Amino acid sequence: MKISIPPSWRNRVARYRLTATKCRDCGRTLYPPSEVCRACGSRNVEKVELINEKAKLVTWTIIYSAMDGFEDRRPVILGVLETLESKARILAPLTDVLPEELQVGLLMEPVMRRISEEGEAGLIHYGIAYRPLVKT
Amino acid sequence: MLPEEKTGILGWGSYIPRWRIDLKEIADLWGFNPVQPVELAVSEKSVAGVDEDAVTMGWEAALNALKRAGINPGEIGAVWFGTESKPYAVKPSATIIAEALGITPKTMASDWEFACRAASEAIRVAIGAVASGLVKYALVIGSDTAQANPGDVLEFTASSAATALIIGPRDEAAAFFEASASFVTDTPDFWRRDHSWYPLHGEAFTGEPAYFKHIVGAVELLFEKTGLKPEDFDYAVFHQPNGTFPIRVARMLGIPREKVLPGLVTPYIGNSYNSSALIGLSKVLDEAKPGQRILLAPFGSGAGADAYSIVVTERVLERQGKALKVEDYLKRKHLISYAKYAKNRRLINRIV
Repeated sequence: MKISIPPSWRNRVARYRLTATKCRDCGRTLYPPSEVCRACGSRNVEKVELINEKAKLVTWTIIYSAMDGFEDRRPVILGVLETLESKARILAPLTDVLPEELQVGLLMEPVMRRISEEGEAGLIHYGIAYRPLVKT
Repeated sequence: MLPEEKTGILGWGSYIPRWRIDLKEIADLWGFNPVQPVELAVSEKSVAGVDEDAVTMGWEAALNALKRAGINPGEIGAVWFGTESKPYAVKPSATIIAEALGITPKTMASDWEFACRAASEAIRVAIGAVASGLVKYALVIGSDTAQANPGDVLEFTASSAATALIIGPRDEAAAFFEASASFVTDTPDFWRRDHSWYPLHGEAFTGEPAYFKHIVGAVELLFEKTGLKPEDFDYAVFHQPNGTFPIRVARMLGIPREKVLPGLVTPYIGNSYNSSALIGLSKVLDEAKPGQRILLAPFGSGAGADAYSIVVTERVLERQGKALKVEDYLKRKHLISYAKYAKNRRLINRIV
Protein backbone atom coordinates (compact mmCIF):
# COMPACT_ATOMS: atom_id res chain seq x y z
CA MET A 1 0.00 0.00 0.00
CA LYS A 2 1.52 3.29 -1.08
CA ILE A 3 1.12 6.33 1.14
CA SER A 4 2.04 9.74 -0.22
CA ILE A 5 5.20 11.01 1.47
CA PRO A 6 4.14 14.66 2.21
CA PRO A 7 1.02 13.93 4.32
CA SER A 8 2.79 11.10 6.10
CA TRP A 9 5.67 13.44 6.92
CA ARG A 10 3.41 16.33 7.97
CA ASN A 11 1.49 14.12 10.37
CA ARG A 12 4.48 12.30 11.84
CA VAL A 13 4.61 14.13 15.17
CA ALA A 14 0.86 13.79 15.72
CA ARG A 15 1.17 10.12 14.84
CA TYR A 16 4.17 9.44 17.10
CA ARG A 17 2.84 11.33 20.12
CA LEU A 18 -0.91 11.00 19.70
CA THR A 19 -1.55 14.70 19.38
CA ALA A 20 -5.20 15.57 20.01
CA THR A 21 -7.30 18.73 20.36
CA LYS A 22 -8.75 19.85 23.67
CA CYS A 23 -11.62 22.31 23.48
CA ARG A 24 -11.29 25.15 26.00
CA ASP A 25 -15.04 25.77 25.79
CA CYS A 26 -16.72 22.36 26.11
CA GLY A 27 -13.71 20.52 27.58
CA ARG A 28 -13.84 17.59 25.13
CA THR A 29 -10.59 16.06 23.88
CA LEU A 30 -10.79 14.83 20.32
CA TYR A 31 -8.46 12.68 18.27
CA PRO A 32 -7.29 13.20 15.56
CA PRO A 33 -6.68 16.93 16.16
CA SER A 34 -8.47 19.63 14.24
CA GLU A 35 -8.73 23.41 14.24
CA VAL A 36 -12.41 23.26 15.17
CA CYS A 37 -13.95 21.29 18.04
CA ARG A 38 -15.99 18.57 16.41
CA ALA A 39 -18.27 18.42 19.47
CA CYS A 40 -19.31 22.09 19.86
CA GLY A 41 -17.87 23.90 16.83
CA SER A 42 -15.62 26.19 18.90
CA ARG A 43 -12.29 27.34 17.49
CA ASN A 44 -10.99 27.87 21.03
CA VAL A 45 -8.92 24.68 21.05
CA GLU A 46 -5.44 23.64 22.17
CA LYS A 47 -3.16 20.78 21.19
CA VAL A 48 -2.53 18.08 23.81
CA GLU A 49 -0.55 14.83 23.68
CA LEU A 50 -2.11 11.56 24.79
CA ILE A 51 1.01 9.40 24.56
CA ASN A 52 1.35 9.10 28.34
CA GLU A 53 -2.29 8.20 28.97
CA LYS A 54 -3.52 4.67 29.48
CA ALA A 55 -6.82 3.75 27.87
CA LYS A 56 -9.59 1.18 28.16
CA LEU A 57 -10.83 -0.91 25.28
CA VAL A 58 -14.34 0.08 24.23
CA THR A 59 -14.81 -2.23 21.26
CA TRP A 60 -12.82 -3.95 18.52
CA THR A 61 -13.02 -5.74 15.22
CA ILE A 62 -10.95 -8.63 13.92
CA ILE A 63 -10.18 -8.40 10.21
CA TYR A 64 -9.35 -11.67 8.47
CA SER A 65 -9.52 -10.24 4.94
CA ALA A 66 -6.69 -7.76 5.38
CA MET A 67 -5.91 -5.32 2.61
CA ASP A 68 -2.79 -5.58 0.45
CA GLY A 69 0.39 -5.08 2.43
CA PHE A 70 -1.08 -6.38 5.70
CA GLU A 71 -1.05 -10.11 4.93
CA ASP A 72 1.62 -10.80 7.55
CA ARG A 73 -0.49 -9.09 10.25
CA ARG A 74 -3.59 -11.22 9.81
CA PRO A 75 -5.80 -11.17 11.70
CA VAL A 76 -5.57 -7.38 11.92
CA ILE A 77 -7.21 -6.18 15.14
CA LEU A 78 -8.52 -2.62 15.29
CA GLY A 79 -9.86 -1.19 18.50
CA VAL A 80 -11.71 1.85 19.78
CA LEU A 81 -10.16 3.04 23.01
CA GLU A 82 -11.08 5.68 25.55
CA THR A 83 -8.20 7.38 27.33
CA LEU A 84 -8.56 7.29 31.11
CA GLU A 85 -8.08 10.98 31.98
CA SER A 86 -9.07 13.01 28.93
CA LYS A 87 -11.77 10.55 27.77
CA ALA A 88 -10.67 10.89 24.15
CA ARG A 89 -11.82 8.16 21.76
CA ILE A 90 -9.11 6.72 19.58
CA LEU A 91 -9.26 4.22 16.73
CA ALA A 92 -5.98 2.32 16.60
CA PRO A 93 -4.45 -1.04 15.79
CA LEU A 94 -4.11 -3.41 18.76
CA THR A 95 -0.86 -5.31 19.22
CA ASP A 96 0.83 -7.89 21.48
CA VAL A 97 -2.58 -9.37 22.13
CA LEU A 98 -4.30 -12.58 21.07
CA PRO A 99 -7.95 -12.39 19.92
CA GLU A 100 -9.07 -14.56 22.85
CA GLU A 101 -7.51 -12.11 25.33
CA LEU A 102 -9.66 -9.17 24.22
CA GLN A 103 -12.40 -7.93 26.52
CA VAL A 104 -14.35 -4.71 26.95
CA GLY A 105 -12.62 -2.51 29.51
CA LEU A 106 -9.19 -4.11 28.98
CA LEU A 107 -6.58 -1.58 30.11
CA MET A 108 -4.14 -0.75 27.33
CA GLU A 109 -1.21 1.59 26.68
CA PRO A 110 0.07 3.27 23.51
CA VAL A 111 3.32 2.03 21.94
CA MET A 112 5.23 2.98 18.81
CA ARG A 113 5.03 0.34 16.10
CA ARG A 114 5.50 -0.16 12.35
CA ILE A 115 2.02 0.64 11.10
CA SER A 116 2.68 0.02 7.40
CA GLU A 117 5.49 -0.09 4.90
CA GLU A 118 5.81 0.33 1.17
CA GLY A 119 7.26 -3.01 0.10
CA GLU A 120 10.83 -3.94 0.89
CA ALA A 121 12.43 -0.82 -0.54
CA GLY A 122 9.95 1.94 0.35
CA LEU A 123 9.28 3.99 3.44
CA ILE A 124 8.30 2.50 6.77
CA HIS A 125 5.44 4.37 8.44
CA TYR A 126 5.63 4.34 12.22
CA GLY A 127 2.73 5.22 14.47
CA ILE A 128 0.88 4.23 17.61
CA ALA A 129 -0.75 0.92 18.42
CA TYR A 130 -2.25 -0.11 21.77
CA ARG A 131 -1.24 -3.16 23.78
CA PRO A 132 -2.44 -4.59 27.10
CA LEU A 133 -0.60 -3.07 30.07
CA VAL A 134 2.71 -4.85 30.70
CA LYS A 135 2.15 -4.46 34.42
CA THR A 136 -1.37 -4.17 35.75
CA MET B 1 39.54 14.27 37.99
CA LEU B 2 38.81 11.87 35.13
CA PRO B 3 36.15 13.00 32.60
CA GLU B 4 34.08 9.98 33.62
CA GLU B 5 33.78 11.26 37.21
CA LYS B 6 31.87 14.34 36.05
CA THR B 7 29.13 12.22 34.52
CA GLY B 8 26.55 9.59 35.35
CA ILE B 9 23.39 7.75 34.39
CA LEU B 10 20.27 9.83 35.08
CA GLY B 11 17.79 7.37 33.66
CA TRP B 12 17.81 3.83 32.35
CA GLY B 13 15.20 1.67 30.68
CA SER B 14 14.78 -1.52 28.72
CA TYR B 15 12.27 -3.29 26.53
CA ILE B 16 11.72 -6.98 25.75
CA PRO B 17 9.09 -8.15 23.24
CA ARG B 18 6.28 -10.37 24.52
CA TRP B 19 6.98 -13.30 22.19
CA ARG B 20 9.39 -16.13 23.05
CA ILE B 21 10.49 -19.31 21.33
CA ASP B 22 11.63 -22.36 23.27
CA LEU B 23 15.13 -23.31 22.11
CA LYS B 24 14.10 -26.96 22.11
CA GLU B 25 11.93 -26.14 19.05
CA ILE B 26 14.95 -24.81 17.17
CA ALA B 27 17.05 -27.84 18.13
CA ASP B 28 14.28 -30.18 17.02
CA LEU B 29 13.60 -28.44 13.70
CA TRP B 30 17.22 -28.34 12.59
CA GLY B 31 18.23 -31.68 14.09
CA PHE B 32 20.71 -30.35 16.61
CA ASN B 33 21.75 -32.38 19.62
CA PRO B 34 18.91 -31.78 22.11
CA VAL B 35 21.43 -30.82 24.79
CA GLN B 36 22.65 -27.81 22.75
CA PRO B 37 20.36 -25.29 24.56
CA VAL B 38 21.48 -26.74 27.90
CA GLU B 39 25.13 -26.27 26.94
CA LEU B 40 24.40 -22.66 26.00
CA ALA B 41 22.48 -22.24 29.29
CA VAL B 42 19.64 -20.50 27.45
CA SER B 43 16.07 -21.82 27.60
CA GLU B 44 14.07 -19.32 25.51
CA LYS B 45 14.75 -16.31 23.31
CA SER B 46 12.67 -13.19 22.79
CA VAL B 47 11.22 -12.58 19.34
CA ALA B 48 10.10 -9.17 18.12
CA GLY B 49 6.56 -9.00 16.78
CA VAL B 50 5.77 -8.51 13.12
CA ASP B 51 5.19 -4.77 13.76
CA GLU B 52 8.40 -4.33 15.77
CA ASP B 53 11.97 -3.47 14.83
CA ALA B 54 15.06 -1.92 16.43
CA VAL B 55 13.44 1.55 16.24
CA THR B 56 10.18 0.66 17.99
CA MET B 57 12.00 -1.30 20.70
CA GLY B 58 14.56 1.48 21.14
CA TRP B 59 11.72 4.01 21.45
CA GLU B 60 10.18 2.13 24.39
CA ALA B 61 13.51 1.64 26.15
CA ALA B 62 14.27 5.36 25.70
CA LEU B 63 10.80 6.34 26.97
CA ASN B 64 11.43 4.29 30.12
CA ALA B 65 14.84 5.97 30.55
CA LEU B 66 13.24 9.41 30.13
CA LYS B 67 10.58 8.63 32.75
CA ARG B 68 13.32 7.76 35.23
CA ALA B 69 15.54 10.74 34.38
CA GLY B 70 12.65 13.20 34.66
CA ILE B 71 14.32 15.70 32.34
CA ASN B 72 12.97 17.86 29.54
CA PRO B 73 13.61 15.86 26.32
CA GLY B 74 14.43 19.12 24.52
CA GLU B 75 17.60 19.44 26.62
CA ILE B 76 19.08 16.23 25.19
CA GLY B 77 21.93 17.19 22.86
CA ALA B 78 22.77 13.78 21.39
CA VAL B 79 20.71 10.73 20.45
CA TRP B 80 23.04 7.88 19.61
CA PHE B 81 21.60 4.60 18.44
CA GLY B 82 23.73 1.43 18.52
CA THR B 83 22.41 -1.44 16.42
CA GLU B 84 23.26 -4.00 13.80
CA SER B 85 19.66 -4.39 12.66
CA LYS B 86 18.75 -0.93 11.33
CA PRO B 87 15.36 -0.83 9.62
CA TYR B 88 16.89 1.43 6.94
CA ALA B 89 20.38 0.88 5.52
CA VAL B 90 20.45 4.63 4.79
CA LYS B 91 18.19 6.91 6.88
CA PRO B 92 19.00 7.31 10.52
CA SER B 93 16.99 5.40 13.09
CA ALA B 94 18.09 7.93 15.73
CA THR B 95 16.12 10.77 14.15
CA ILE B 96 12.88 8.75 14.21
CA ILE B 97 13.23 8.11 17.93
CA ALA B 98 14.39 11.68 18.62
CA GLU B 99 11.34 13.06 16.82
CA ALA B 100 8.94 10.66 18.53
CA LEU B 101 10.25 11.58 21.98
CA GLY B 102 10.23 15.34 21.44
CA ILE B 103 14.02 15.71 21.40
CA THR B 104 14.30 17.26 17.92
CA PRO B 105 15.50 19.53 16.39
CA LYS B 106 18.35 20.95 18.52
CA THR B 107 20.31 17.74 18.88
CA MET B 108 22.88 15.46 17.29
CA ALA B 109 21.46 12.13 16.17
CA SER B 110 23.12 9.19 14.48
CA ASP B 111 23.36 5.42 14.25
CA TRP B 112 26.50 3.63 15.38
CA GLU B 113 27.92 0.35 14.11
CA PHE B 114 30.33 -1.98 15.90
CA ALA B 115 28.43 -5.30 16.05
CA CYS B 116 27.15 -5.70 19.64
CA ARG B 117 29.36 -2.92 21.01
CA ALA B 118 28.17 0.10 19.04
CA ALA B 119 26.04 1.49 21.89
CA SER B 120 28.88 1.00 24.34
CA GLU B 121 31.26 3.09 22.26
CA ALA B 122 28.49 5.70 22.15
CA ILE B 123 28.38 5.64 25.96
CA ARG B 124 32.10 6.44 26.17
CA VAL B 125 31.70 9.28 23.67
CA ALA B 126 28.61 10.53 25.52
CA ILE B 127 30.66 10.66 28.71
CA GLY B 128 33.19 12.84 26.89
CA ALA B 129 30.51 15.07 25.37
CA VAL B 130 28.81 15.63 28.73
CA ALA B 131 32.06 16.07 30.67
CA SER B 132 33.31 18.67 28.18
CA GLY B 133 30.06 20.61 28.30
CA LEU B 134 29.38 20.04 24.60
CA VAL B 135 25.95 18.64 25.52
CA LYS B 136 23.98 18.66 28.77
CA TYR B 137 22.41 15.23 28.32
CA ALA B 138 22.95 12.38 25.87
CA LEU B 139 20.58 9.52 25.10
CA VAL B 140 22.32 6.27 24.14
CA ILE B 141 20.24 3.34 22.91
CA GLY B 142 21.30 -0.22 22.19
CA SER B 143 18.60 -2.07 20.26
CA ASP B 144 18.61 -5.15 18.07
CA THR B 145 16.35 -7.64 16.39
CA ALA B 146 19.37 -9.88 15.99
CA GLN B 147 19.53 -11.89 12.79
CA ALA B 148 20.88 -15.41 12.41
CA ASN B 149 21.04 -17.74 9.43
CA PRO B 150 18.23 -20.27 9.96
CA GLY B 151 19.82 -23.53 11.06
CA ASP B 152 23.04 -21.86 12.20
CA VAL B 153 24.04 -22.31 15.82
CA LEU B 154 23.65 -18.53 16.26
CA GLU B 155 19.91 -18.95 15.75
CA PHE B 156 19.61 -20.41 19.23
CA THR B 157 20.48 -17.12 20.86
CA ALA B 158 20.02 -14.20 18.40
CA SER B 159 17.13 -12.36 20.05
CA SER B 160 15.37 -9.01 20.34
CA ALA B 161 15.50 -6.37 23.09
CA ALA B 162 16.58 -2.77 23.73
CA THR B 163 18.12 -0.70 26.50
CA ALA B 164 18.60 3.05 26.80
CA LEU B 165 20.65 5.25 29.12
CA ILE B 166 20.45 8.99 29.68
CA ILE B 167 23.89 10.30 30.49
CA GLY B 168 24.32 13.67 32.13
CA PRO B 169 26.02 15.55 34.96
CA ARG B 170 27.05 13.52 38.00
CA ASP B 171 25.14 15.73 40.45
CA GLU B 172 21.85 14.64 38.83
CA ALA B 173 22.76 10.98 38.39
CA ALA B 174 21.28 7.78 39.82
CA ALA B 175 24.72 6.21 39.28
CA PHE B 176 27.98 7.89 38.34
CA PHE B 177 30.90 6.72 36.25
CA GLU B 178 34.27 6.41 37.98
CA ALA B 179 36.39 5.36 35.03
CA SER B 180 36.25 3.50 31.72
CA ALA B 181 38.59 1.76 29.28
CA SER B 182 38.45 0.24 25.81
CA PHE B 183 40.34 -2.65 24.18
CA VAL B 184 40.02 -3.10 20.41
CA THR B 185 41.76 -5.21 17.72
CA ASP B 186 41.03 -6.41 14.17
CA THR B 187 39.56 -9.87 14.81
CA PRO B 188 37.48 -11.89 12.28
CA ASP B 189 35.06 -13.54 14.69
CA PHE B 190 31.72 -12.39 13.20
CA TRP B 191 30.70 -10.29 10.20
CA ARG B 192 28.02 -9.53 7.66
CA ARG B 193 28.82 -8.25 4.18
CA ASP B 194 26.67 -5.82 2.16
CA HIS B 195 23.58 -7.55 0.71
CA SER B 196 24.14 -10.62 2.83
CA TRP B 197 21.00 -11.39 4.83
CA TYR B 198 22.70 -13.01 7.78
CA PRO B 199 26.01 -12.71 9.62
CA LEU B 200 28.69 -15.40 9.45
CA HIS B 201 31.12 -16.27 12.17
CA GLY B 202 34.61 -17.71 12.40
CA GLU B 203 33.79 -20.64 14.65
CA ALA B 204 37.16 -20.93 16.42
CA PHE B 205 37.43 -17.16 16.86
CA THR B 206 34.28 -16.66 18.93
CA GLY B 207 35.65 -17.49 22.37
CA GLU B 208 39.30 -17.10 23.27
CA PRO B 209 40.63 -14.64 20.64
CA ALA B 210 37.48 -12.52 20.63
CA TYR B 211 35.17 -12.50 23.66
CA PHE B 212 37.57 -13.52 26.41
CA LYS B 213 40.68 -11.68 25.19
CA HIS B 214 38.91 -8.37 24.69
CA ILE B 215 36.79 -8.35 27.83
CA VAL B 216 39.73 -9.41 30.00
CA GLY B 217 41.87 -6.78 28.23
CA ALA B 218 39.38 -3.98 28.87
CA VAL B 219 38.69 -4.93 32.49
CA GLU B 220 42.40 -5.27 33.32
CA LEU B 221 42.97 -1.82 31.80
CA LEU B 222 40.21 -0.47 34.03
CA PHE B 223 41.77 -2.12 37.09
CA GLU B 224 45.19 -0.65 36.18
CA LYS B 225 43.70 2.82 35.66
CA THR B 226 41.77 2.89 38.93
CA GLY B 227 43.57 0.53 41.29
CA LEU B 228 40.22 -1.21 41.83
CA LYS B 229 40.16 -4.96 42.42
CA PRO B 230 37.50 -7.62 41.73
CA GLU B 231 36.41 -7.59 45.37
CA ASP B 232 35.60 -3.86 45.16
CA PHE B 233 32.60 -4.59 42.92
CA ASP B 234 29.14 -5.68 44.08
CA TYR B 235 27.96 -6.62 40.59
CA ALA B 236 29.69 -7.64 37.36
CA VAL B 237 27.79 -7.36 34.07
CA PHE B 238 29.41 -8.67 30.89
CA HIS B 239 28.28 -9.03 27.30
CA GLN B 240 26.19 -12.19 27.40
CA PRO B 241 26.13 -14.12 24.10
CA ASN B 242 25.01 -17.20 26.03
CA GLY B 243 24.55 -18.16 29.67
CA THR B 244 28.05 -19.57 30.19
CA PHE B 245 30.57 -17.06 28.75
CA PRO B 246 29.87 -14.34 31.38
CA ILE B 247 30.45 -16.84 34.21
CA ARG B 248 33.69 -18.06 32.58
CA VAL B 249 35.08 -14.59 31.96
CA ALA B 250 34.22 -13.63 35.53
CA ARG B 251 36.16 -16.65 36.79
CA MET B 252 39.15 -15.61 34.65
CA LEU B 253 39.03 -12.19 36.33
CA GLY B 254 38.62 -13.59 39.84
CA ILE B 255 34.98 -12.50 40.19
CA PRO B 256 32.54 -14.96 41.81
CA ARG B 257 29.45 -16.04 39.85
CA GLU B 258 27.13 -14.61 42.56
CA LYS B 259 28.12 -11.12 41.38
CA VAL B 260 27.29 -12.00 37.76
CA LEU B 261 23.93 -13.75 38.22
CA PRO B 262 21.79 -10.66 39.10
CA GLY B 263 22.63 -9.10 35.70
CA LEU B 264 22.47 -12.28 33.65
CA VAL B 265 19.39 -11.99 31.42
CA THR B 266 20.42 -14.09 28.39
CA PRO B 267 19.29 -17.45 29.87
CA TYR B 268 15.69 -16.15 29.67
CA ILE B 269 15.67 -14.11 26.44
CA GLY B 270 18.82 -14.96 24.46
CA ASN B 271 21.49 -12.56 23.24
CA SER B 272 20.02 -9.17 22.37
CA TYR B 273 23.29 -7.94 20.82
CA ASN B 274 23.55 -4.17 21.45
CA SER B 275 21.26 -4.55 24.45
CA SER B 276 22.99 -7.70 25.73
CA ALA B 277 25.25 -6.26 28.43
CA LEU B 278 23.18 -3.09 28.81
CA ILE B 279 19.99 -4.95 29.74
CA GLY B 280 22.05 -6.67 32.43
CA LEU B 281 23.07 -3.23 33.73
CA SER B 282 19.46 -2.08 33.52
CA LYS B 283 18.29 -5.06 35.61
CA VAL B 284 21.01 -4.43 38.19
CA LEU B 285 20.07 -0.72 38.43
CA ASP B 286 16.44 -1.80 38.90
CA GLU B 287 17.46 -3.42 42.19
CA ALA B 288 20.78 -1.82 43.23
CA LYS B 289 21.32 0.08 46.48
CA PRO B 290 23.13 3.39 46.98
CA GLY B 291 26.88 2.99 47.36
CA GLN B 292 27.14 -0.26 45.39
CA ARG B 293 29.73 -0.49 42.61
CA ILE B 294 29.01 -2.13 39.26
CA LEU B 295 31.52 -3.45 36.72
CA LEU B 296 30.07 -3.22 33.20
CA ALA B 297 31.91 -4.79 30.25
CA PRO B 298 30.15 -4.87 26.87
CA PHE B 299 31.79 -6.64 23.90
CA GLY B 300 31.35 -6.44 20.15
CA SER B 301 32.67 -8.66 17.40
CA GLY B 302 35.27 -7.39 15.05
CA ALA B 303 36.35 -6.95 17.93
CA GLY B 304 36.37 -4.78 21.03
CA ALA B 305 35.27 -4.45 24.63
CA ASP B 306 34.83 -1.64 27.12
CA ALA B 307 34.93 -1.68 30.88
CA TYR B 308 33.19 0.81 33.17
CA SER B 309 33.16 1.29 36.90
CA ILE B 310 29.79 2.67 37.98
CA VAL B 311 28.79 3.70 41.51
CA VAL B 312 25.11 3.86 42.51
CA THR B 313 23.85 7.01 44.28
CA GLU B 314 20.90 7.75 46.60
CA ARG B 315 18.84 8.95 43.63
CA VAL B 316 18.52 5.40 42.31
CA LEU B 317 15.85 4.59 44.91
CA GLU B 318 13.36 7.26 43.80
CA ARG B 319 13.85 6.35 40.11
CA GLN B 320 13.61 2.55 40.22
CA GLY B 321 9.81 2.57 40.41
CA LYS B 322 9.23 5.31 37.81
CA ALA B 323 9.16 3.00 34.79
CA LEU B 324 8.75 -0.67 33.91
CA LYS B 325 11.60 -2.88 35.13
CA VAL B 326 13.42 -5.63 33.23
CA GLU B 327 11.70 -8.12 35.52
CA ASP B 328 8.27 -6.82 34.40
CA TYR B 329 9.13 -7.55 30.78
CA LEU B 330 10.66 -10.94 31.65
CA LYS B 331 7.38 -11.96 33.27
CA ARG B 332 5.30 -10.83 30.26
CA LYS B 333 5.81 -13.65 27.81
CA HIS B 334 3.95 -15.90 25.42
CA LEU B 335 5.56 -18.84 23.66
CA ILE B 336 5.18 -19.05 19.88
CA SER B 337 5.99 -21.76 17.34
CA TYR B 338 9.02 -21.77 15.04
CA ALA B 339 6.61 -21.00 12.19
CA LYS B 340 5.38 -17.80 13.87
CA TYR B 341 8.93 -16.84 14.79
CA ALA B 342 9.93 -17.33 11.13
CA LYS B 343 7.04 -15.13 9.98
CA ASN B 344 7.71 -12.43 12.58
CA ARG B 345 11.40 -12.23 11.73
CA ARG B 346 10.80 -12.38 7.98
CA LEU B 347 12.59 -15.67 7.43
CA ILE B 348 9.92 -16.65 4.88
CA ASN B 349 10.35 -15.17 1.41
CA ARG B 350 7.22 -13.54 0.03
CA ILE B 351 6.52 -11.28 -2.94
CA VAL B 352 5.34 -7.97 -1.50
